[in-house]
Amino acid sequence: MGERRFVLLMLMPAALFLGFLVSYPVALLVYNSFFEVSLIDPSSRVWVGLANYVDALTSKRILESALRTLKYSAFALFFELLFGLGAALLFAAIAKRSQWHRTIFALPLMISPIVAGLLWRFLLVGNIGILNYGLAALGVIPDPGAIKWLSDTDIVIYSVAAADIWLTTSFVALVSYAGLTNIPQDVLEAARIDGTNAVTRFWYVTLPMLRPVLAVVVVVRGIDALKTFDLIWIQTQGGPRQASEVLSMNIYQRMVRYGDLGQASATATLFLVFMIGLAGLAYWKVWRTGND
Amino acid sequence: MKKTLMCTVAAFTLATSAAQAEGITVLVEGGGHSLQQAVADAFTKETGIEVTFVEVPYQGVYDKLSAEIASGTSNYDVATIDVVWNAAFAPHVEDLSELFTEAVKADLPPALLADANVGGEMIGMPTWANAEIVFYRKDLWEDPANQAAFKEQYGYDLAPPATWQQWRDMAKFFTKDGMYGTDVIGGTSEEWMAEVLQAGSPGVILDDSGNVILDNPAHIEALENYRAPLCEDKSVPDNALEISWGEAQNLFYQGQTAMMKFWAHAYRMTPEDSKIAGKVGVAPMIGGSAGIAGIPGPWYNVIPSSSQHKDAARQFIAYAIAHNALGIEAPLGLAATNSAYQSYMGKPGYEHFGPLMATLSAPATKGRPLNQHYQELVDEAVMPAFQGALECEDNVAELLQEAAATARDILGQ
Repeated sequence: MGERRFVLLMLMPAALFLGFLVSYPVALLVYNSFFEVSLIDPSSRVWVGLANYVDALTSKRILESALRTLKYSAFALFFELLFGLGAALLFAAIAKRSQWHRTIFALPLMISPIVAGLLWRFLLVGNIGILNYGLAALGVIPDPGAIKWLSDTDIVIYSVAAADIWLTTSFVALVSYAGLTNIPQDVLEAARIDGTNAVTRFWYVTLPMLRPVLAVVVVVRGIDALKTFDLIWIQTQGGPRQASEVLSMNIYQRMVRYGDLGQASATATLFLVFMIGLAGLAYWKVWRTGND
Repeated sequence: MKKTLMCTVAAFTLATSAAQAEGITVLVEGGGHSLQQAVADAFTKETGIEVTFVEVPYQGVYDKLSAEIASGTSNYDVATIDVVWNAAFAPHVEDLSELFTEAVKADLPPALLADANVGGEMIGMPTWANAEIVFYRKDLWEDPANQAAFKEQYGYDLAPPATWQQWRDMAKFFTKDGMYGTDVIGGTSEEWMAEVLQAGSPGVILDDSGNVILDNPAHIEALENYRAPLCEDKSVPDNALEISWGEAQNLFYQGQTAMMKFWAHAYRMTPEDSKIAGKVGVAPMIGGSAGIAGIPGPWYNVIPSSSQHKDAARQFIAYAIAHNALGIEAPLGLAATNSAYQSYMGKPGYEHFGPLMATLSAPATKGRPLNQHYQELVDEAVMPAFQGALECEDNVAELLQEAAATARDILGQ
């Protein structure tokens, strides 16, 4: 057997898997988006052409959800990178002694988003939440009801991101730590001999060499954050007054709760195209960086 | 030898098909499983028909049954569904009118019968029903010092609240010593919907003809009254929008509120380590100008049209309603028929059945509208206006007018 045939053979299971379990549902999604079709009775469908797309693109509600999704993702990603990279640098600084720290730090990764969401809901909720009690005891806020983390429409989208940050900072830290251990020590040693301080070494040596790893983290976590659903749903169900509704939630509601398969499919298709574009752009950037 | 083998195969095939015919599968949510297990066991013992429960989370019932109907296949012979899905599934389930004998009808609260009737067909049989009733701290209400102080302040005796005004007065009175009088739930709108009926509205959101009445005087009056403890009296935690059923229960169990309106089943579920264990009293839901009214939370047994064992399914449903009291020993302890509840009346630990029956049977008690767009109406029209009102700034009438316009838009009116 030639090498080429062997490679094709090895690819076959994955190709079949993707073919049946990804391509077919995606094709069906796109197909449904051109019809007015009820979830409960998909046989009685009416062709509406691009009407569902026009509705989706002109809907203020969907636009607001999309912008909120970007806001949520940018906020969560920024802090995950900040805390994750910070933790990775600390682990690298204490080298092998960080074994236990890394293990403990990775624990939130084992928790399901639903459980984490529920946990944070009861941490953040006013009057009975531990967070506000702690802040009130420290004198930061006058009483445990002073900050309405989950009911103030101005801050709720950031409050629900706290659970995401807590849950996945460890992922960013572990991947970044793996990247840090791959930076050749002689380059850092050379910079040290040249008289650079820690900040300069980080900015001019560590960070540029970590760029491909960070790009992967941004792509993986970014896409993950954009399609977040369960974590927010369990905390607020998109409320109050839809102030924490992200796009995936809008699609879910339209499809599952309202049974409007056509409209939901059109929005989901637009979301999919956006995500594919974003992923393509990010991978191209990573690939280009790797070839520089 | 060949003949023997063929006979064996034929016998096996017959036995298998007979066994298949003698079994039904019931799609049910967790709580519903426990409530129906005893009746299923008794049914199997009596008829020989095996009952297999497929237990899924709450939303899973809707998702699985719709997927089943959409695919045209059949795995479920009976599904136990929430009343809010009755309208959506009505075209895809069997008419059970013949199971509603005069005796069955006489034994069910009228609101449960009305919810079973979609487009002139009785599409489901009630399995159990719940409603919100008043929960209060007996120790506080029976305290002579509180009784004297309350009478002096408000001019009437301290007793479990029965009217809107009494509810507000008592909530204000008990807002002291680090405790709130009660809570206002902002995460869901059912509690306000009950007040809409108490105010004399012919329905919630829609009238019987399907017209949007979300901005009628009763809806406005009820929302003004519902938010008063939050916006005027300051007798509830001010984070109402964060409070849903779970939070309301926690506040009460932690002793942070003196009373709450809550689903009756919770009476038997007070945690033993709660500081209020053994001190909980119950009373019927409060009343407005139209008297007591609640929003029933019944579940119905339906037979999907795609079921392969419709006769066995009908037998099970008829048996279940005839032996409705068997579910009361389950942790949720609920039933649907008056006779089932009456059979436990007076037994210690079941003091909530009286208030529950009084609420369910009240003339103004009425189910949520049986409209297939119900969920969309609530999420898109009702909740933004309801939660907007609980921010205590906007005009209630204007919010509800906007909500009514959205609702009409959804329904194409």
